[in-house]
Amino acid sequence: MILEASHNFFSLIGENLNQFLQYTGFANATIGHIAMIIIGLLFIYIAIKKEWEPLLLVPIGFGIIVGNIPLFPGLSVGIYEEGSVLNILYQGVVKGWYPPLIFLGIGAMTDFSALISNPKLLLIGAAAQFGIFGAYAIALALGFTPAEAGAIGIIGGADGPTAIFLSSRLAPDLMGAIAVSAYSYMALVPVIQPPVMRLFTTHKERLIRMKPPRAVSKREKIMFPIVGFLLTAFIVPSGLPLLGMLFFGNLLKESGVTRRLAETARGPLIDVITILIGLTVGCSTQADEFLRLKSIGIFVLGAASFFIATAAGVLFVKFFNLFLKEGNKINPLIGNAGVSAVPDSARVSNLVGLEYDKTNYLLMHAMGPNVAGVIGSAVAAGILLGFLG
Amino acid sequence: MKNHIRIFLLFGALTLSYTLSGQNMAAMRINEVQSVNTDGFIDDYGCRSGWIELFNTSYGTVDIGGCFLTDDPNDLTKYMIPKGDALTKIPPRQHVLFYADNLPDRGTFHISFDIPNAKQILFVSNNGRTVIDEITLPEGGIPANKSYGRIMDGEGSGEPTHFLQKSIRVAQKEKAAGENHGWAILDKVTPSTNNLTLDGDSKSTTMGKTDPYGVIMAIVAMSVVFVALILLYLVFKKIGNKAIIKSHIKEAASKGDIADAASVRGKESTSAEVFAAIAMALHLYREDNEAHDIENTILTIHKESKSYSPWSSKIYTLRETPQVRRNK
Repeated sequence: MILEASHNFFSLIGENLNQFLQYTGFANATIGHIAMIIIGLLFIYIAIKKEWEPLLLVPIGFGIIVGNIPLFPGLSVGIYEEGSVLNILYQGVVKGWYPPLIFLGIGAMTDFSALISNPKLLLIGAAAQFGIFGAYAIALALGFTPAEAGAIGIIGGADGPTAIFLSSRLAPDLMGAIAVSAYSYMALVPVIQPPVMRLFTTHKERLIRMKPPRAVSKREKIMFPIVGFLLTAFIVPSGLPLLGMLFFGNLLKESGVTRRLAETARGPLIDVITILIGLTVGCSTQADEFLRLKSIGIFVLGAASFFIATAAGVLFVKFFNLFLKEGNKINPLIGNAGVSAVPDSARVSNLVGLEYDKTNYLLMHAMGPNVAGVIGSAVAAGILLGFLG
Repeated sequence: MKNHIRIFLLFGALTLSYTLSGQNMAAMRINEVQSVNTDGFIDDYGCRSGWIELFNTSYGTVDIGGCFLTDDPNDLTKYMIPKGDALTKIPPRQHVLFYADNLPDRGTFHISFDIPNAKQILFVSNNGRTVIDEITLPEGGIPANKSYGRIMDGEGSGEPTHFLQKSIRVAQKEKAAGENHGWAILDKVTPSTNNLTLDGDSKSTTMGKTDPYGVIMAIVAMSVVFVALILLYLVFKKIGNKAIIKSHIKEAASKGDIADAASVRGKESTSAEVFAAIAMALHLYREDNEAHDIENTILTIHKESKSYSPWSSKIYTLRETPQVRRNK
């Protein structure tokens, strides 16, 4: 009798333990999960060791790990399970309201003086967007649908929030891969761009010295976000969320009377949204959703779009120089800054410029096309949304 | 003057808020009407009756609770749509159907009149006076089991457009001519669904067919990006030139040299830092011993950090602790 009772007792414990084991990550793990966790760890390593875009790669990397903890379905904890905490936080990505809030912060922290003092640099920002449409054409040739191709092409804009915003509308299934690809290449700007810049420039061109930018008045700085918004939004109304927030943030900064709002937008607000967007985008890369042949295609196309964008920016400056007088010429090394990875690509221009002339600082000049690239990529996203959305 | 501006702004804000508050309900349209229904749509009681379909033309939810439906222009409050029913909140671009069976006891969507002989249907705002939409039914009535509706949902007479003036003008002209522009006896009776079904491809599919290599997209999109940024460039080039001239005039005027101020127009800009450097160099040159290449002093700003300041101390903003007297 006692023996039977103890046997039942232990079998009950065994059953419970067995049931518990079914809920653990060990029982549900696949090779895909392990591979993604390793990728997440790699992101964190790159962010900490190399300091490449740490503010983004740490949350994304950790998010990848969180998102790839093998789960027993139905526990309402996974990012794709409706009503879970992660799912609620993910709505900012799905519905596309995180990216405009990030743009608000970017606007509030961006100084457009370099661009205002030399507005022709705007055109470099436009030329670099060719990377988006070059990648779009290649993606079409590889068999992606036009909507998917548009979402992939925007990686060439080198703008993470824009990539998330557009892919959430055009190709939600590919959003995780596109966002991770966009942020990865943004982090790799110092590695990808210099060889392309050297490839398309001559030694003589790399030594061109540009005139120092003039001082910009407060009135001009205030007028820029208002006029800039009106002109771009009237031409591409579909880019309204991004353009509106970008210029609004800049007006908060430049008006001089809303310091508290500007500080909140460029400080606590953008930090909070960056944490949420990074973590949830990372989480969205669950192995079963992410590890597909398409994802590899997206990474290859992302690299191609960065290459095209950088080359287009540099080549455009060379072309533009044909029409400029001696003394007014632009150093083509700032052409790469037309992709809007602010301020990394401008920093790359400066570093490569210094390699050839220790006293030729290009940073201030490169900031012009760099912020023009932000406007250009938002406009391009609006166009793609208008055509394909 | 300032007061005038304030009054003007206040008036503008009030006008705008009035317009905005009225905008939602004004987006509702009578979309389709069936007067005689003997072999068509069956209501939730299993009965057949005539019906009136409304359509929300806007991209926001509209609550029509408290509005009125009538077939009599002299009695605009004939049937009030009950308030507080969740189903009277019409989602964007959606339809709602009212059964004209003269049986209002059967629920919100069963109205207090029938319409086999109706000449007109009106949808009236919740103030009971403003007619939001009205439609005059065809002379001789709608043929049995057929419906009279807008060819395109929400469009036609009184259609809302982005250009309000045009809409009013067109609507007034059509009203004066006694026309119901955009209305017809429909081929298919479509209660609670679109009158015209668009069997088209999505934008993406269409683009894939018309531009399989992405060349047209690249050309068009890059042109738009360039146009947008070229416009911005032109505007700020102009603004920049003016700012440069203005700063030169100001600078010359501050030095009292009016001739110089007049002559600076059209000259190229030189930054303030350059002027400062030149001035400093001249000053040092005049002071004989000060011309040198290496500075022996450095002018900088040293930030003083204070760990404590009574101005930020919370202790001074607190009230004194009340003294407690204890009776022995």
